[in-house]
Amino acid sequence: MILKKISLSNFKNYELEQLEFSSGVNCFVGKNGMGKTNLLDAIYYMCMCKSNFAVNDRNIVRKGEPFFRLEGAFLRNELNEKLVCKVIPGTKKTIELDDVPYAKILEHIGHYPIVMIIPDDTLLATEGSENRRRFMDMTLSQMDQDYLRHLMAYNRVLKQRNAALKAFAKQGNFQLGLINTYNQQLLEPAAYISEKRKHFCTGFEPVFAEVYKNVSGDAEQVEVNYKSHLLEEDFEDLLIQTMERDRILQRTTIGIHKDDLVFKIDEFALKKFASQGQLKSFVLSMKLAQYELLYLEKNIYPILLLDDIFDKLDGDRVRQVLELITNGKYGQTFISDTHPNRVQQILTELGIENKQLKIENGKAVLIENEEA
Amino acid sequence: MNFSSKLIEDAVMAFSKLPGIGKKSALRLVLHLMNQETVHTEQFSEAILKMRRNIKNCKNCHNVSDQDICNVCNDPHRDRSLLCVVESIRDVMAIEDTGQYRGLYHVLGGVISPIEGVGPDTLYIDQLIIRAQAEEVKEIIMAISPTIEGDTTIYYITKQLKDTNVGVTTIARGVAFGGELEYADELTLGRSIISRIPYGSR
Ligand SMILES: Nc1ncnc2c1ncn2[C@@H]1O[C@H](COP(=O)(O)OP(=O)(O)OP(=O)(O)O)[C@@H](O)[C@H]1O
Ligand SMILES: [Mg+2]
Ligand SMILES: [Zn+2]
Repeated sequence: MILKKISLSNFKNYELEQLEFSSGVNCFVGKNGMGKTNLLDAIYYMCMCKSNFAVNDRNIVRKGEPFFRLEGAFLRNELNEKLVCKVIPGTKKTIELDDVPYAKILEHIGHYPIVMIIPDDTLLATEGSENRRRFMDMTLSQMDQDYLRHLMAYNRVLKQRNAALKAFAKQGNFQLGLINTYNQQLLEPAAYISEKRKHFCTGFEPVFAEVYKNVSGDAEQVEVNYKSHLLEEDFEDLLIQTMERDRILQRTTIGIHKDDLVFKIDEFALKKFASQGQLKSFVLSMKLAQYELLYLEKNIYPILLLDDIFDKLDGDRVRQVLELITNGKYGQTFISDTHPNRVQQILTELGIENKQLKIENGKAVLIENEEA
Repeated sequence: MNFSSKLIEDAVMAFSKLPGIGKKSALRLVLHLMNQETVHTEQFSEAILKMRRNIKNCKNCHNVSDQDICNVCNDPHRDRSLLCVVESIRDVMAIEDTGQYRGLYHVLGGVISPIEGVGPDTLYIDQLIIRAQAEEVKEIIMAISPTIEGDTTIYYITKQLKDTNVGVTTIARGVAFGGELEYADELTLGRSIISRIPYGSR
């Protein structure tokens, strides 16, 4: 799959810009704060219908403007497609594929698979379990719309259940019938999500181990294990057992919203024993394995976005990664870097065709390749 | 907007408080009334005032009514063994418009949503259970929006009804999932009431 062209109107610091891309490697270079990450996020938005950075649509609109619009010319399964996102904050956003608006936005998720690698990915290993659930969710949502549908249903019921528990505490009563109703409503989506996550981890581990070997050059044994209450006991029984605790704590203390992934290197917990370098290789490998798994599942090369590639890795590692993602197993790639020709130099040395765009305050200029 | 008259300004403000009416439309309405005979405006405001002062909720089904008991509940030709449970009076109107339904109604006043502060006791659920036990009801048809909250409400009520002899059905989900009932076109809605299905068989 290839993004051939993009038009941005009022997207963050882009007023009006049209860009054409190469089907191979595209580099966005420019000083801090010029709009490199914003441009990558615009591409991400067209695939996932939201920003990668948990900002709401209101803050994406260029300051002082009433709306933003993105238009992409894609080539998918040898067909040309036009994707348009129109967002006026406060109204329902519209996503159109070849001029036909989606009735439900979630129907678009997974149509253009995408993986975005950012410096903050290390949070995957170091911070709370919500980061790791999000990783699973982002991957599985792109593979399976029913997953996303069940996840949204589960989250909605959970929110209502928690609100009910709070209300009971305030009113000094407890309506067992209502809590039982929510328990019943949680069961089906929880079972579906749990099964998918388990299955995902089984398929993920070997792919991940292979990528990690390539990225780190080391022979350490890496492990990723799925951890869930639901693996240990029947969810319905668990909900009944924890009812009293939930009532006191006024929230649902058990369920797939507590799932986690446990990482190990040579049988030790990653967080405690890995060096900074190992940690960076580890999370980078997770994202690249996410890419490979998405490809295996969908048979479409996802778009790969690599933000601030040098922030994570030294020159040798960057070269290794660039070699890996241009070996034919990966598709169109977008890379950002603050240094004007650091990435280009490596790519040229490796004989990899690439397109360089200089980003300056929401404007992009093509840099002609010197080698010709 | 700058008005040369405080009287007009007040009237425009009053109109623009209504949903879907902006300042510009409000001004157009006010100017229209101003250019007509006074008696038109008198009739107009009288109708609204009378409606607001005298409108009631049916003691039986909580539908809107001019009397204590609404026209539907009072109609001797309606089938008293059928109760159609809806969220709001707008749903009653939508279903009546289809001309396909001959039973009675029960308006809940919403769906269970603790996020919005709506619990089972905020709604007319207890009254429904009482009706289901006391009257000659055989079937309760759930015509509730197919949302998470709608599902919660249906499941909750069905559990409360388990000691009664009434059967529970839901309208066939020709109504798009996630769509509000009042947006369903008459044909789909009419058909989905006729082809209702036993609850739990989805
Ligand atoms: N809604 C918006 N309207 C206008 N400008 C915005 C908006 N949102 C973000 N910006 C601007 O975008 C700039 C940040 O752009 P971006 O994060 O893409 O920079 P970058 O080139 O990736 O920089 P770095 O190298 O530091 O990562 C900031 O100057 C910010 O003010
Ligand atoms: Mg950046
Ligand atoms: Zn009535």
